[in-house]
Amino acid sequence: MRIIYETSDGGVAVIVPTPEYLLTHTMEEVAAKDVPAGANYEIVEDSVVPSDRTFRGAWTWA
Amino acid sequence: MATIINADTSDGLKLTSDTSGQIDFQSAGSTKALIDTSGNLKFNSGFGSVGTAYGCRAWINFNGTGTPAIRASGNVSSLTDNGTGGYTINFATNMPDINYAASSAGTDTAFGGAAFARVVSIVSSTRAVGSVQVTMQYVGASAAGYFDYDENHVSIFR
Repeated sequence: MRIIYETSDGGVAVIVPTPEYLLTHTMEEVAAKDVPAGANYEIVEDSVVPSDRTFRGAWTWA
Repeated sequence: MATIINADTSDGLKLTSDTSGQIDFQSAGSTKALIDTSGNLKFNSGFGSVGTAYGCRAWINFNGTGTPAIRASGNVSSLTDNGTGGYTINFATNMPDINYAASSAGTDTAFGGAAFARVVSIVSSTRAVGSVQVTMQYVGASAAGYFDYDENHVSIFR
């Protein structure tokens, strides 16, 4: 699972939780702690995040 | 003064107790390690004298290509992929302040050779008690830019 959120400049950041932290915390708790306050975010499957990073800087929140 | 646990070469275990709150670990009457009343762990371990141990408070080893993947970590809750060559290390337990030292390294598998040098930077303007941003770049004679490397290692000391 990944957490994606809209950055202040309109881009998209992707949060990858560490396996050790997920032993004692939920994805929702990771989001509450590591997503910047007020940012739109969503918890998604790994497959939702493109592995092709050719235009990584051009990703936008839709 | 201290409470002392001494591995004596003649008598074996020797214990000496007091009410100072400090505990010393000795070998043949010589202090090799101690925990003082502030909770500081000090040890010799080849240092030459008993000095404070400054621990690595957080570390991470990750692959920044494709979908970033964390190989191993300590005291890190997550890694944020901010874009090409840009990452945020989020700490599981916050640092006491922002005056920690961050170091980073990695291999140059993609831009190896003499033409390019790898540059790793800590983004000081965004340093916080709960996270630190790092950038990975390459620099050559005719080109430079952010880059997603395979090997990225970051450690935090305080």
